[in-house]
Amino acid sequence: MTAAVNRVVLVPGTLALLPEYAGREDPVAELRAAALAAIAWLGPDVQVVGDEQGARVGAALLEAAAVSTTLAGARCSTSDGGGPSTSDGGGSSTSGGAPAYLVVGNGSAKRTEKAPGAFDERAEAFDAGLGASLRAGWPEFDARLAEQLWASVEGIARLGSLGDLGEAQVDYDDAPYGVQYWVMRWGA
Amino acid sequence: MTLRLRTNEFADDATLMMAIVNRTPDSFYDKGATWAEDKAFERVALVAEQGAEIVDIGGIKAAPGVEIDAAEEKSRVVDFVARVREAFPQLVISVDTWRAEVGDAVCAAGADVLNDAWGGADPELVDVAAAHGAGIICTHTGGATPRTRPYRVEYDDVVRSAIDDTVAYAERALAAGVPRDGIVIDPAHDFGKNTFHSLELTRRLGEMVETGWPVLVSLSNKDFVGESLDLPVGERLVGTLAATSVAALAGARIYRVHEVVETRLTVDMVNVIAGRLLPKRAIRGLQ
Repeated sequence: MTAAVNRVVLVPGTLALLPEYAGREDPVAELRAAALAAIAWLGPDVQVVGDEQGARVGAALLEAAAVSTTLAGARCSTSDGGGPSTSDGGGSSTSGGAPAYLVVGNGSAKRTEKAPGAFDERAEAFDAGLGASLRAGWPEFDARLAEQLWASVEGIARLGSLGDLGEAQVDYDDAPYGVQYWVMRWGA
Repeated sequence: MTLRLRTNEFADDATLMMAIVNRTPDSFYDKGATWAEDKAFERVALVAEQGAEIVDIGGIKAAPGVEIDAAEEKSRVVDFVARVREAFPQLVISVDTWRAEVGDAVCAAGADVLNDAWGGADPELVDVAAAHGAGIICTHTGGATPRTRPYRVEYDDVVRSAIDDTVAYAERALAAGVPRDGIVIDPAHDFGKNTFHSLELTRRLGEMVETGWPVLVSLSNKDFVGESLDLPVGERLVGTLAATSVAALAGARIYRVHEVVETRLTVDMVNVIAGRLLPKRAIRGLQ
């Protein structure tokens, strides 16, 4: 049985957030700042939900946020696929023992001609719909279309299993490189 | 090794552009373009804007020519150094001179570094640098007399000679009281050398870098580039940048140049390839 969810954050799985791909200038500085602020808000007991690359991005962001916010004892684990696993105990949650989740996922990668997947006229509407459902706390999307538009939705799909998240706080919503990124928070 | 050129400190991995500013009517490349003081000052402003960390001000061309005594040399550079010092307080000012008398005057006017392009021809230059806390560039000329061209010069091993002489000079400067982090060595391409010597120094520059002393290279538009490609002055930029790439890969720290922007891009690209410098901004494939 899944415990009551306390706090959830969504960040995109862009590899530009990984330290091994850092340049002298940060091409995603605004996104990174929003993501780190939201992750710091999650508290110290966090599980990462996403695909394999997303888990790497999430772990790196947790480590960066721990450094910048001096959160001791942050730890993460990837979901086993059926739905987000709960905290395996031992760590202190933000409040009331409920786990916090860092979900890694993003919208389409076909928003512009220069986008990784080039332009697809369906992408903007897809992202608008997915974004609206995320804001409402209950993600909905066409999985087949998501695949065609190169959307990274594995983690987002699992958001639904966390229960009624309520309305999101949107910290970032843009597609600066033809890929739709969001940073959103749910919970008290 | 950290470089500290008087009040300016540079990180261990920093590469520096030293822009040439000639207060001469007859230097080989610019042919008097910055002979007028205001033109020279405009050149300083331009290269500072382009990102040069150092300007190297010279009052005498390297090649043989009309005798320029110390008084005339000082009249060309001392007041100019003071003007640049006042206008560009953060810019490192180097003066290309072999004369201790001139070195003393320019340091008093605000110069940070003495670029002894003629390799210790005046043994008192190190004492002047030490007295002012200035840095010094220790060059290799094979014992050539200032303002002479090489004539049938040969070495058993030009790189060994360059290392032995410049390191000895650096140690002499250190013993005289020049700060260790203000001492730089320079193989001095084309000075007391034929083209084959300069090419070998370029090819084996890593051996100089391995001494641990910061290495300066002065390659810009020189004759060894021209002879390598059979190109006259004015058509040597590509060859200069190719030589610069080799020097950068070997680990040279300071580049004495006419073209600041092109050299900076070349050096940065090489150091990014070498893994010593991060790419400026990378997003391709990472979105």
